[in-house]
Amino acid sequence: MKAILTASLLLLASCGRGGTPDIQIVDAWARETVAGQAGTAAYMTVTNRGTGDDRLVDVSASPPVTASLHETSTDGGISSMRPLDGGLSVPGGDSVTLKPGGSHVMISGLTSPLHQGDLLKLTLRFERSGDKSVDFKVASATAGMDH
Amino acid sequence: MRQLRIVLWIAVALALLAGGYLLINPKRQTPSTNTIELARMGGPFTLVGSEGRPFSSAKLNGKPYALFFGFTHCPDVCPTTLARLVKLRQQVGGERPFEIVFVTVDPERDGPAEVGKYTELFDSPILGLTGSPAQIDQVKKQFGIFSEKVEQPGGDYSVNHTSTVLLFDRSGKFGGTIAPEEQDDAAIAKLKMVSA
Repeated sequence: MKAILTASLLLLASCGRGGTPDIQIVDAWARETVAGQAGTAAYMTVTNRGTGDDRLVDVSASPPVTASLHETSTDGGISSMRPLDGGLSVPGGDSVTLKPGGSHVMISGLTSPLHQGDLLKLTLRFERSGDKSVDFKVASATAGMDH
Repeated sequence: MRQLRIVLWIAVALALLAGGYLLINPKRQTPSTNTIELARMGGPFTLVGSEGRPFSSAKLNGKPYALFFGFTHCPDVCPTTLARLVKLRQQVGGERPFEIVFVTVDPERDGPAEVGKYTELFDSPILGLTGSPAQIDQVKKQFGIFSEKVEQPGGDYSVNHTSTVLLFDRSGKFGGTIAPEEQDDAAIAKLKMVSA
């Protein structure tokens, strides 16, 4: 079932519009941490103002920090995270928001705390638009709750 | 004889249906809050507070509280839930209408200091608790909480866990739950009820 779904989605994706994508990143932020916390999450809105589809396929950070695309899912009251192996599709003229409790960039391997106002540099790799270096602003742990 | 055969065939059909259901929904077998009787949910417990001293649940007597189990290395669902509870507490109004209690399901990594520092992230009083692995197991059982470690690439691990918030009124009686996907107005109504 999953294989059929994946195959259909890949097929659909390959039928995407072939114009030029125009990717912008807005509201990029990461949650502040305290000493001893090796991980956190980062969020953003990816907008594609172009006419062609694109896909966010990978996220990376400066070692020893690592970054990966994840999604939180809750089933029967139990939450778990799974890697977004296929990336995130950003169709032309559309936008995708990564927000608390859903898709996020999982950050691991922090050796010092992230304080409010700090900038965390991540590289976003898009299938068609290539690499984009983005500064994620570190914000309060209570940020992003207005959605 | 014919009747017996019919009964047996019905039994076979029911068994097949049940088996099929479990095959389709294997996760339904995972223990969750549904598996313990709600009337027996909770009860007295002793854990360890962020100062490293024993914490008796008697300290919560007379106070309504929202109880959440998580872990400090949790990147998304735990801080999101605690930040949401802080926001909901402001929306319920009044001066601290209920306590927010955070219990780690990862006592191996989360000692008193880790739990204490973590709860300070949310700019509002949160009671952070840890304990020995045996104490945490006992409390998880009392509250019907499931958790399991999941290995991550690079030797690290994450923890899958019950993310439902449990609500208790000031007499310590179980008063409902808040699920992550639940709308704020429904959650606020429940919080007002237990805080009354």
